[in-house]
Amino acid sequence: MIVGSQKPIDEIWDMVKEFKRVIVFGCNTCVAICHAGGSKEAETIASMLKMRSSNEGVDMDVSSTSVMRHCEPEYFDEVIDELRSYDLVLSTACGVGVNFLSERIGNIPVYPGINTSFFGAVPEAGVFEELCAGCGDCILHMTGGICPVARCSKTLMNGPCGGTNEGKCEIGKDVDCAWYLIVQRMKDLGTIEKLSEVIPPRSWSTSRDGGPRRVSVEHIREYEESAEQKTEAGGSK
Amino acid sequence: MAEDNTTALNEPYRPYGADIKETRPYSPCRAACPAHTDVQAYVGLIAQGKYTEAFEVITSVNPIASVCSMICHHPCEQACRRCGVDEPLAVRHLKRFAIERSQDYRRAKRKLTKKTRGKSIGVIGSGPSGLTAANDLASLGYDVTIYERHPVLGGMLASAIPPYRLPREMLNEDIDDVISKGINVKTGFEIGRDRKLEDLMKDHDGIVIAIGLSQSRSLNIPGVEGDGVLLAIPFLEDVAFDRKPDLGKKVLVIGGGNVAMDVARTARRMGVKDVSMVCLESAEEMPAWKWEIDEAIEEGVTIDNRWGPKAVKRENGKVQGLEVVKVNSVFDDKGRFNPSFDDKTTKIIEADTIIITIGQMSNMSFLKDGPVKLDERGLIQWDRDTHMSSASNVFVAGEVVTGPGSAIAAVASGHRAAMALHLYLQGEEIKGNLPEHEKDKIDQLPGKVVDLLDREQRQEIKHLPPEVRCDTFTHFEIGYDEAEALKEAGRCRGCGGGAVVDPNRCMACLTCLRVCPYGAPKVFAVSEIRPEYCQACGLCAPECPGQAISMVSYDVNEIRSSMPDIIGKRDPKRSDPVIAAFLCTHHTGVGGFNVPGNIRTIPVHCISRVDVLDVLSAFSNGADGVAVIRCADGSCKYKGVAKRVSSRIGRARELLSMLGIENERTEMLTASSTNGNRYSSVCTEFSEKIKELGLRSS
Repeated sequence: MIVGSQKPIDEIWDMVKEFKRVIVFGCNTCVAICHAGGSKEAETIASMLKMRSSNEGVDMDVSSTSVMRHCEPEYFDEVIDELRSYDLVLSTACGVGVNFLSERIGNIPVYPGINTSFFGAVPEAGVFEELCAGCGDCILHMTGGICPVARCSKTLMNGPCGGTNEGKCEIGKDVDCAWYLIVQRMKDLGTIEKLSEVIPPRSWSTSRDGGPRRVSVEHIREYEESAEQKTEAGGSK
Repeated sequence: MAEDNTTALNEPYRPYGADIKETRPYSPCRAACPAHTDVQAYVGLIAQGKYTEAFEVITSVNPIASVCSMICHHPCEQACRRCGVDEPLAVRHLKRFAIERSQDYRRAKRKLTKKTRGKSIGVIGSGPSGLTAANDLASLGYDVTIYERHPVLGGMLASAIPPYRLPREMLNEDIDDVISKGINVKTGFEIGRDRKLEDLMKDHDGIVIAIGLSQSRSLNIPGVEGDGVLLAIPFLEDVAFDRKPDLGKKVLVIGGGNVAMDVARTARRMGVKDVSMVCLESAEEMPAWKWEIDEAIEEGVTIDNRWGPKAVKRENGKVQGLEVVKVNSVFDDKGRFNPSFDDKTTKIIEADTIIITIGQMSNMSFLKDGPVKLDERGLIQWDRDTHMSSASNVFVAGEVVTGPGSAIAAVASGHRAAMALHLYLQGEEIKGNLPEHEKDKIDQLPGKVVDLLDREQRQEIKHLPPEVRCDTFTHFEIGYDEAEALKEAGRCRGCGGGAVVDPNRCMACLTCLRVCPYGAPKVFAVSEIRPEYCQACGLCAPECPGQAISMVSYDVNEIRSSMPDIIGKRDPKRSDPVIAAFLCTHHTGVGGFNVPGNIRTIPVHCISRVDVLDVLSAFSNGADGVAVIRCADGSCKYKGVAKRVSSRIGRARELLSMLGIENERTEMLTASSTNGNRYSSVCTEFSEKIKELGLRSS
């Protein structure tokens, strides 16, 4: 899932202080699971903003609402008119949601209420760890299921480097060396000999270097066409 | 008396969560009650000090609530899930407490209901089922007349239940509630004697026959005829109406049921020292409630089990005793009543008076050759699905058709008959539209939940000592005081009042699963909180990041939405800080908090429900400090609360510090005493600390 983290209230205040009517718009999927931007946190941020505006002597109307996901239009269709009645939407979705809503809401600004951190897992309640970088060309089968792109500080394809130190990365004692983990894991799996093959330099065009990415699933896109046909068949509706 | 423009039955009091409860399994206490009294709701309201609201919940389904608070056999208690932990809640006694505390309220709210239907109903009999039917039909806007053959209303409640069990002033409160709706009353009026049923059918658009079982069965044994042998109901009626018969020195009661206990204990109160009972059944088989038997024995009544009556022995016509024969067995292989005797073993039990208490029947003579047909056994022919007799506008309710049962079962029958008649007069289908007794109920507590629950002793129900109570017909049971009632109400585990997940908001994040101490949530596509596990502690709801969890028994948003009123006006020139104090009422109830006015108390059933948003809201509305006061370690009713709420306080502090509000202004404090004063001093000490820290200007 996408992991987000909350912004300090000062930063949010600087973003929103010029607006009279603000709605904090929560997203109840990934960022809710990581307790950053779901319905509950949206209400919390709204409550904080009310107190801040009162402290600052600023007359501001703040409320909050939420929907299940911000990354598909059907989910926010039912609240979009309400959102449009505000001067600012402070979205606590991930950056995807902020972008996506910005494109569709019309001439109302949508600002980020949280920081979008990474794709991660929940090893224990309240802990979120980055395990994938979304590089677009997965090689986990060659690295024992441990991703050097996301988890090696240098994104080395053939590690470890000289900075590995008793299983930890040279950048910090709390950071595991991904290549140390890869070697250990592949030993355990009995596939260590695979590491004698050099992983060739990879093309980063599938990652951020290739510009904005888009995936198109043609057989699913056909739904869209049939939906259009339904609308046409529905006549004036 | 002013006429009310509303019809009460159409708008009964609905406690919070009433609608959602209808869509879910009932708590076992509620399912066990024939009238489906929402026990969990009213016990919860008592625990919050909301006594008149509790009264409303009780009386919304039970017009003889005072009576039931005294004499109900409380199937709710037998079904209580605490039976699997220690002892059941003292539900009946809590009902009594709520009713006693609502005395003025109930009298003030009595008013006429408008007779909007233009139709009249005659109700024959004013026992539990008759009163209930009359009450419901009057509430629905019918012009109701009750016909009662005794000089007072109440049926057997007034004429046979001894006042040491049911004080008449309690019965009269119930009757006054019902009659005040504008019901016409004809007492001393016997159908058949004073007016024929056929004529009554012409007087009214509908009739409810609710005559109960007001006649005692007798025995067909030698010597039974003549002085010195009495039947139970006439005997009890004589006592009730102050026609006390002479019983001699020794009384023998034949029978082992509840009425037999009433008879024996009444005889004791008439000054007879030597009262004994004889019955076919063994001590374990006796049909009387165990507590009735125990109380009778306490009062010196002796019981001779497993003897059957053979002949009344007389000398010169005067009763000398009863010859009895040993019983081999009472029930046959199939569990049917079919006693067998050892004819060789007999004995004589001496007695001056013998009172036969072996069962009751109705007096059907007024129905003879009339439009309401009887079956071959002389009982009214009726349709259980419609409560209709063979005459289309004559409906039947209560024990006259259901056979002997409890007062509350007769209430349920009265409700059904009233609804049936109403549907009939509306021209609507009756079958399938009457309230049903059988309801889905929450399963028993799983063993692993039982292991997590603390044993808490049931608050004792005190009685007058036997040596005192046997001298008088005064009610022998002593009601709870407020402290006892609050403590007892606090024992309720809130079955059916717990957490519910809104599947439209749940993203299956597992937070509830991680936070629940009882393992109640199961998460598949969305979370489902299993009611048999849920203890209604409320710990999960404030944790849910999707705000998908609500509580059946309270509004999770209520505290923060009412915070402006809780905090109220803040004097800018005040010298004392405004403190919002969340106080767990579990140990001290709601009456124990005497704190200075600057401390705004927010009683909660447990601090588990205190949300970070509630704390923010207190500051947002002007509090200078927020104290969350918990019970001491080991004394919390629930598990894991202090740790979790402490984390919430940490989170609130983190957020508040971003607004410049110091950590010291938010504290979780402990009151380690069951004494309300300790809670007060914890609050005032905190208030002093905040005063030193300074008051917030904005």
